[in-house]
Amino acid sequence: MDRTEDSTTKQVELRRDVTVWGSFMWGYADVGADIYAALGLVMAAAQGATNLAFAMAGMVYIMIGLAYTELASAYPVAGGGQYFTMRGLGDFWGFLTGSALLLDYTIDIALFSVASAGYINFFMPHIFGFGPEHFNITIGPLKNINPLWCAESLILIAFLIWLNIKGMRESSLFNEIIGAVDILTESSIIIIGFLFAWKPELLAHQWRFEFPTLSNFMYGSSLAIISFVGLESISQAAQETRRPATIIPRTSITLIFTVFIFATAFSTLGLGILPWQSFRENMGDPVALLAHNIPIIGIIAGPFAAILGATILLISANSGVMSASRLTYSMSRFHLISNWFDAVHPKFRTPVRTILIFSMIGVVQTILSFLTPSAMDTLGNMYAFGATTGYTLVFIALIRLRITDPYTPRPYKMPLNIKMNLRGKRIDFPVLGIIGMLGVSTILFEVILTHKIGRIAGPSWVILCLIYYAWYRRKQGLPVFKSAHREWENEQIAVLTSAEEYDLVEEYKIALADRDKKVKHEKQ
Amino acid sequence: MNYQISPLGVVIAAAFAIAMGSLLWWMLKLPPYIPAAAAKARRGVGALRNILVPTVGLPCSERGIEMACRLGQEQKATIHLIYVIEVSRTLPLDAPMPEIEPIAKDALKRAEEIVTLRGLTPVSEIRRARIAGEEIIRVAKDIEADIIVMGIRTSISMTEHIIGRTSEIVMRRAPCEVLIDKLPGE
Repeated sequence: MDRTEDSTTKQVELRRDVTVWGSFMWGYADVGADIYAALGLVMAAAQGATNLAFAMAGMVYIMIGLAYTELASAYPVAGGGQYFTMRGLGDFWGFLTGSALLLDYTIDIALFSVASAGYINFFMPHIFGFGPEHFNITIGPLKNINPLWCAESLILIAFLIWLNIKGMRESSLFNEIIGAVDILTESSIIIIGFLFAWKPELLAHQWRFEFPTLSNFMYGSSLAIISFVGLESISQAAQETRRPATIIPRTSITLIFTVFIFATAFSTLGLGILPWQSFRENMGDPVALLAHNIPIIGIIAGPFAAILGATILLISANSGVMSASRLTYSMSRFHLISNWFDAVHPKFRTPVRTILIFSMIGVVQTILSFLTPSAMDTLGNMYAFGATTGYTLVFIALIRLRITDPYTPRPYKMPLNIKMNLRGKRIDFPVLGIIGMLGVSTILFEVILTHKIGRIAGPSWVILCLIYYAWYRRKQGLPVFKSAHREWENEQIAVLTSAEEYDLVEEYKIALADRDKKVKHEKQ
Repeated sequence: MNYQISPLGVVIAAAFAIAMGSLLWWMLKLPPYIPAAAAKARRGVGALRNILVPTVGLPCSERGIEMACRLGQEQKATIHLIYVIEVSRTLPLDAPMPEIEPIAKDALKRAEEIVTLRGLTPVSEIRRARIAGEEIIRVAKDIEADIIVMGIRTSISMTEHIIGRTSEIVMRRAPCEVLIDKLPGE
């Protein structure tokens, strides 16, 4: 049996009935945690204009989310951005997107473990009378190194490695409950905060007198994109859901807008309750700090938000380990990387090599980030590079696929399309796709311009990956810059059939038959 | 801890609650779930783009045309109307038949009116053949018909076959689906 057949069989086995709430929470457990880590980072950079930075990045994120919703419901496979780019632009660009997203998953492991440890540290002053900064040390030119926080983060990563190698499955019910509790807690903090603690005059003061410089604002708005990262979970949910066309567009759109509303609401609330400098000083636990400063519920909400933040961030870090495994599986299936990565442990039946390699990269990133003045900032810096590079290519792929593959049924289409005839094909040209691509490219430009570490480490990672890619493809006798031959139409029919989207299969077959008939007539 | 209430804060809190509530309500209120088999069948009807309807100008044939229009309305199908003049083997196929040709034209004109009334595009043609059923099958192959819809007589006597010779040939040898439309007997 060849690998394509094998993967199709696997997809059939994987698909199951997922409830609307379950599908929504799948994504929320991943994306919903981002604000816990991003709020302090963005406040430190965008200062009095933090909510504007979140709103601007959020507008771009909404467009990215809509693009993912369209692509995931049309191509419900787990590879996500890497798969879409490979379909639209070919193997080379698919690999490039995959490598940028792999960088993000390793940073995901590091950043969210560090952030989770930061929320655990919320309790330190209350228990021991001093915070984690009490242990700060200086080694030569490297100042303010926090060995305790670093050790806590490494312990959490080690725990995740053990959990994933042993193959202990994260219960979907646990995810659903944690997600629901999180939505209720965040909503309570926001509603009670705006009702009883929010001072519009403080917000106005910070807007007027604490507005950042253009460079800081650009840095802040490009960091804000990390509060929206995790949209790959939409593709993963699409791959494992029966009849994804019914559920995925609805849950994805709700996820996108929920996260956007939370991000803009938290930043507006934060600027109206505390000066932005307070968040900079508490970068590890900004949501807990905010909750703690709300009257009536603050005494309970602060510690509760800290426990919740630590838990949900750890779940998000775990999704980094799982996503890296899934992505490498997808990449090796299409011969972009070696299938050496897919080897499963004889006892635990888990992809042990992938888990170890990418988690260890996360460990190295964590250690190196603690040698810089701010570990969270350094990791966020690199995170933004991977995300914006990947998303830019996904937008280009979306536009190209609308032109080259108008036959695949799209249960959801990004709004604002212009109908046109191009080389005899009737296509819907995505205007919002162009706007989104320009938006995310602008953020990528900001990242390159303002992220001192990201602009060097990010491209270096991609170049290293490309060297490996060129070596592997040559070894396999496959083209480096061109694509290997693939039966995309058969693959699409197999994917839609396994998803039980029979109506879409028929629609697709009719569209292909019409195309063939047209070609036949033209030849005659 | 002191608390203060600002009107703008109240408005934002309310707007937040309404936005989140409506978003979650919209998500959870899924459209009725269509079982896979039903979805497949529904799509099957939607796939009918080329519908062939033979007519002989009788009310039963015109009912068949109406049925075809209803099947093809949603996807704006093309309705191909044919009237097959059966020519005896004792005559050449192109022999003038002045008494039947006006009847055929008239039948097709009425059929076109039914189709146009439904907002669909009719394509009509008079054909000549030795056996009508065989010609219908030939046309179905030529136009790559997705379905043939035929209205048959309402009342059939005890000694007659339930379906006529033409319908039987079409049902046996058609290259596509065949739908026979018959009302209950009077």
